[in-house]
Amino acid sequence: MNSHGEDAATENTETRDDRRVLRIRPSMVCVLVAALLGLSTDLALAQTADDLFDPTALHDIRIRLNARDLQSLHERYLENTFYPGEFEWRGASVGNVAVRSRGTGSRNAIKLGLEIEFDRFIGGQRFLGLRGITLDNLWQDPAILRESLTMALFARLGQPAPRESYARLFINDEYQGLYTIVETIDDQFLSRSFGDPAGYVLEYHWLNEFYGSYLGSRLSAYTMMFEPRTHELESPTTVYSAIERLFYEANRNTDSTWREGVDRYLDVPQFLMHVAIEEFVSELDGISGYAGMNNFYLYRPSDNTRQQLIPWDRDNAFQAVQSSVFLRIDDNEILRRLLGYPDLRELYLQMLEACAAAAAGDRWLEREVVWRAALVTPAVRADPNKPYSNDDVDRGIAFLQSFARDRPAIVLNQVRAGR
Amino acid sequence: MLGIYQVSWSDRVCKGCACIFLLTFCAELDAQQASPWPEGAAPASAVAQQSTGDVAKQGETTFTWRDHPTLDIGDHLQLDFRARIQADVRRSGFMTADGDLDGVDIARRRVGVTGTIDRIATFEVERELDGNNPWRDVYLNYEQFPVQVQGGRFKLPLSLDENTSATNLDFVYRSRAATQLAPGRDVGVMAHGRQGLVRYDVGIFRGDGDNSRADTATHVTGTTTRAGRIVIDPFRGSKSAWRDLQVGVAFTTSTVPEGFGDVRGRSALGESFFTPTIMVNGARRRIALEQRWRPGPFSVKAEYIRLTNERLGQGMDDGDLPPLESAGWYVSGTWILTGEQKSRGPDNPTRPLFQGGYGAIEVGGRIERLSFWSDGIGQISTSPRAEVILRQSDRAATFGVNWFPNRWTKLQFNLVQEQLLIPSRDVAAQTLQFWSRVLRVQFAL
Repeated sequence: MNSHGEDAATENTETRDDRRVLRIRPSMVCVLVAALLGLSTDLALAQTADDLFDPTALHDIRIRLNARDLQSLHERYLENTFYPGEFEWRGASVGNVAVRSRGTGSRNAIKLGLEIEFDRFIGGQRFLGLRGITLDNLWQDPAILRESLTMALFARLGQPAPRESYARLFINDEYQGLYTIVETIDDQFLSRSFGDPAGYVLEYHWLNEFYGSYLGSRLSAYTMMFEPRTHELESPTTVYSAIERLFYEANRNTDSTWREGVDRYLDVPQFLMHVAIEEFVSELDGISGYAGMNNFYLYRPSDNTRQQLIPWDRDNAFQAVQSSVFLRIDDNEILRRLLGYPDLRELYLQMLEACAAAAAGDRWLEREVVWRAALVTPAVRADPNKPYSNDDVDRGIAFLQSFARDRPAIVLNQVRAGR
Repeated sequence: MLGIYQVSWSDRVCKGCACIFLLTFCAELDAQQASPWPEGAAPASAVAQQSTGDVAKQGETTFTWRDHPTLDIGDHLQLDFRARIQADVRRSGFMTADGDLDGVDIARRRVGVTGTIDRIATFEVERELDGNNPWRDVYLNYEQFPVQVQGGRFKLPLSLDENTSATNLDFVYRSRAATQLAPGRDVGVMAHGRQGLVRYDVGIFRGDGDNSRADTATHVTGTTTRAGRIVIDPFRGSKSAWRDLQVGVAFTTSTVPEGFGDVRGRSALGESFFTPTIMVNGARRRIALEQRWRPGPFSVKAEYIRLTNERLGQGMDDGDLPPLESAGWYVSGTWILTGEQKSRGPDNPTRPLFQGGYGAIEVGGRIERLSFWSDGIGQISTSPRAEVILRQSDRAATFGVNWFPNRWTKLQFNLVQEQLLIPSRDVAAQTLQFWSRVLRVQFAL
């Protein structure tokens, strides 16, 4: 009893002492609170861009826009007007970001495709070191996974491709649906992918059916088609001459020096690998697309003129499991002549075999479909703005599974037949 | 700005010769008009008529030429016909995206008529000969009673500089504050008058004036505007040098609907340095302080104008943002070297050119500043909904010489040094400093 009483007395004394300490040094409380707040901020800031593009996590992105701007964004979704907003991910937020509607076929007023620029209104502002991201609205893909699966295959085969992950998007606390977070193709992408932040990168814009023909020596013929994403302020001669030369060389009639000329302005093996992956995944709207070339960026190293392709917007991949790996190849001037060389044709076939091996090895592609579908299905079912039903989603994912399972063998058969 | 175009130096020489010819013609006309008689030989009746003006007999319609053509229709109506042309030759060190600001600018080509009706009302109708918005002052002033009532289109009673006729400006261009922050003209009705040492103006206007008129559908301007001004002449009636001193205060209030604000910042030669891409919504208030003193051949003027535009509900969270603030001030001084009284105007020189003298010569200087900013907490941004707007400003010093060869002609030369504080690409402030030179030739009837 005494002992207990002594303990109680001691405890009371300690409590009083603690109170006294707290009363004597209230600044310590402030320091403690600040430290806790700082710790939470640090936790948020400790995240990296790799975390944001982690495809194994379903992210939540919250954007806050003025109500008038949100209304205007919906009403004027065809315009590229930037609106200021606040962007938040995992407790880390950044203000005065620029938000605009984006997309071509996927652009709509119901489920907005969005481009986010962190540094448009505040020069030098970054989020996790990024200047911007794209929020793909998955408007044209009932199977949800086409875009991210294709980019994953590009990356698995060592090709440059934007990183992607999945996110539930909330605007002004209202759930907008499932989106894909897509890495912006800019100098930071070049730094990560090529170790060449000073390189040139240009986005191809589909204006009309273009199959690689020569448009003449005037650089203005190419300026609308290719928009610079780096070196925007440099002269057209510096930015566009290599593009004009590429199509000039590709359309020359001289067979003896044709290959050498094209090789000077195009990384031919990389180009063939890009096309091989597109053909493997039965891409409808790529380099050998149904309406000419589309959906790519052109990268030119800072120290030479051999240009490479970077894939973009793969919502139209995985069209037909039986699709020919030579589909529309002859429509494209560059492809047609490249594959006319036996060694390059063989290289192309080997690349298709590599695609099949990468997809089939350890059933990689099939397993990708399964775990990604499991990750996003609840979010897409709750998506209030998707233009397709949940049954459509289920059917789409089932098709992707069968495609992933059957396509490698079909491609290998076509390769054997093509030799 | 009307019709800026590039001219060669040969064109300038030709135009200069034409100006000199016109100037001489006017001077000769002035000499003839001044007195048709040899000095000291005029008959008494003629002297009397000259001294009192060409007074028409009662009920007659007469046309006379005093300072300008005048038509008297009996005792009921008097019409004074006026015309004015101003041409500027400009050279600036400021390079714009389209080139530079050099060239010849026909600043004004205006005709007008002022008049009196039955000695109880006056009116004015003035029109620019070209341009999209040609009508200037169009108003009637009923002045039968101590409280006069003026209605029509005219300048809102705010800013001494803005309400000084372009013909009588001490410098080629009005101050930045008056040009950008004062409302200018609008349609309205105003009561005004004098009570002892106090003059007052109180009015209500359809809009917020031409100076801040929105030029696109996405820009918004003030709606119904209330304006008031009180000017005190504390030494009025005394014989001291202070008798001309006047100080005043003025205000306007209006409401601006939601949209991009329309108040912008331009340099002296018109180059925009603050573009209205800031969302505003709510009350717009101006407050202005003014002072003028013209002892003998000297004058000292100063003004301060502040314009505050609320940004209610314009935050990204739909909350209120700190108001968009604009403020400008200037202090100017002039000295008529030839000794004319400033309060009577140097535009009527004691000894005009070709009449035993060389006209009146005046020198002056002005320092001024115009700024735009918002008071807030956070990062500076160029966003239309930025809480903190980087302070952007124009600081200018003007040195001028005015030559009045006769009552109709005025040549002004101004040397303007400006320092613009504007955002760079990374939203930090950068300073641009440059000189501009302007020569204005003015003919006014």
